[in-house]
Amino acid sequence: MKNTLWKALGILLLAYVFAITFLVPLGPGLLEFQNVDRVISSATENRSVPEYQLIGYGTHWDEEPDALQVFVKSKSQLAALEVIRVDDATHATIGLTLPYSLPAKSWNVLINHPVDGTLLLENGLFLSDRFIDAQATWPAPSFVEHPGNLGFHFPYQPRIIETIRNLMLHVPLWFTMFLLMGIGFVSSIKLLSNPRNELDDQRAEASVQVGLWFGVLGLLTGSLWARFTWGAWWVDDPQLNGALVTVLVYSGYMVLRQAVEDERLRSRLSAVYNLFAFVILVILLMVLPRFSESLHPGKGGNPGFNTYDLNSALRAVFYPAIVGWMLLGIWMYLVTLRMKRVNRQIELLP
Amino acid sequence: MMFILLQTNPLEGWFIGSGKAYVVVGVACVILIGMAWWLLRAENRLSRMEKLLNSKKNAPSD
Amino acid sequence: MSEHMSRSSAWSRYRFLTAHAFRMEWRQKHGLAGLLLFALASVYACYQVAGGRASSETWNALAWVVLMFSAFNAVAKPWPEDSEAMRKYLKTALRPGEWILARMTFYSAILSALSVLIFLSFTLFLGSEHFNPRQGLSFLLGLECTALAFASLLSVLSAISSRAGAGFGLTAVLGLPLIIPIVLISTRYGTDILKGILWIDTAHHLLFLAALTGGIGALGFILFPYLWRD
Repeated sequence: MKNTLWKALGILLLAYVFAITFLVPLGPGLLEFQNVDRVISSATENRSVPEYQLIGYGTHWDEEPDALQVFVKSKSQLAALEVIRVDDATHATIGLTLPYSLPAKSWNVLINHPVDGTLLLENGLFLSDRFIDAQATWPAPSFVEHPGNLGFHFPYQPRIIETIRNLMLHVPLWFTMFLLMGIGFVSSIKLLSNPRNELDDQRAEASVQVGLWFGVLGLLTGSLWARFTWGAWWVDDPQLNGALVTVLVYSGYMVLRQAVEDERLRSRLSAVYNLFAFVILVILLMVLPRFSESLHPGKGGNPGFNTYDLNSALRAVFYPAIVGWMLLGIWMYLVTLRMKRVNRQIELLP
Repeated sequence: MMFILLQTNPLEGWFIGSGKAYVVVGVACVILIGMAWWLLRAENRLSRMEKLLNSKKNAPSD
Repeated sequence: MSEHMSRSSAWSRYRFLTAHAFRMEWRQKHGLAGLLLFALASVYACYQVAGGRASSETWNALAWVVLMFSAFNAVAKPWPEDSEAMRKYLKTALRPGEWILARMTFYSAILSALSVLIFLSFTLFLGSEHFNPRQGLSFLLGLECTALAFASLLSVLSAISSRAGAGFGLTAVLGLPLIIPIVLISTRYGTDILKGILWIDTAHHLLFLAALTGGIGALGFILFPYLWRD
């Protein structure tokens, strides 16, 4: 009973993860604030101002068009812009009602909307042809951060956008591979300390075999993600090199096992190699990326996502995803192990 | 480039709005259930074989 | 040989084994000559491929590739303990740890000498206009550290594959993926040096290499006895 319970739990968790991962909508965000090279007459200032187009992603501006507020912000300076009209849910025409002399060139664009809440487009506005007067100060318009009024959704992150869903596949797949290779590592140590235990050899082989599948899936999902966020299927990056080398090294383990005829010798040689492989895995995926510049999330130190990148909506799926994938991995490992043992027993039959 | 694509073809629209997301979830769950079924069947077969092997091993001593 | 070894300390046995390895190598000179020929011929091939005018990136890349393949070539030669009878005999006379250390020392010396040779022939054929003498020395230091890391890794791997009875092919299959991390660090160091970055600002790569060499060497020393067991 207990034996089937955790397997069912793993499968149910993964079903939940898939459903939530693909069906929950993404929260709203700002894509672009672009100059359309026209002037438009401003009602508040009684003059012609440059016309800009604000493009949102998954926003709901058409629901309460009059409530949309647009601001630009640089350090502590905040200025309101005029919303000329809201074209549709994701497009609005904005008049750049700023004076000619400005305290800075580069501005963050902020919007406030009762449905979407406060959204930020970092460095959304860059004005190179204005007179810069660093001392200029403006009266601050009233600005209150708005929490928004939306259902359960994933956070919008620039450049990642919808592919945030891949977080539930890519990262837990690698975690599961770590776990399985860890099982292999422990089994290999046990085998070397007690060479007669055939079970440890089978454990090491089964865990590496299943772990390799997870590693390959981790590489594929990672490659997909790289294509979307960095624009190439593969980039030269410490974390990616490490991942590929790890998979190659463990493939070498499988080759080594095929190459040796004698069983005792095979178990010992492959255990020695497996220890090397695991040490290399730890160095490549956990140590080296922390010391080198990497594009991979959390660059310059932490090879994973930072804790503040994961909000509560992501956590509600991410942690179950880790548990679910690991349970599936362990189940696959146990079945592979039993197959090896039965095969072995059949070989030994008189 | 990405912005243009997103403007003309918001992912929200063609992924979740058009129902393609349901297809993806469906396929993923079918694969998942298929895998669980395969693993369960393998376990059952293994149990049968283990029982058989044990009975063979024990046969001479009986 | 056996009398000398059974009575002496571990240190003197290690020294004897290392000296013995050199003596054996010196006696059959075709091994060393083959290694030299391989290195020089590949440098000359690189010279032809690069058309005699290698950019600094090409220079850097080719130098590491030649060193890597020469290192694989150096460990390809079979060792006396590869035969079953010889290993059984050696086991009675000495501890396996001493043997692998002697082997690593031997390969380290050979590969260090080889990396100097490769560096000199590279400057001869592909030119030295990309760096000043100071940068050249720093680059050579990087080559030396890499040679040591290669030596410690490849001696263990060639021991595994010779014990597996699969010969040189398996060394290459197991070794190439494992050697990539070393090559990654070394090439980054080389690129930095040729870019004119101060030695002290890129010296942490050498520290990594040293740590890797030490770690692999220690792991090999601990694990090698399991390879010799029957």
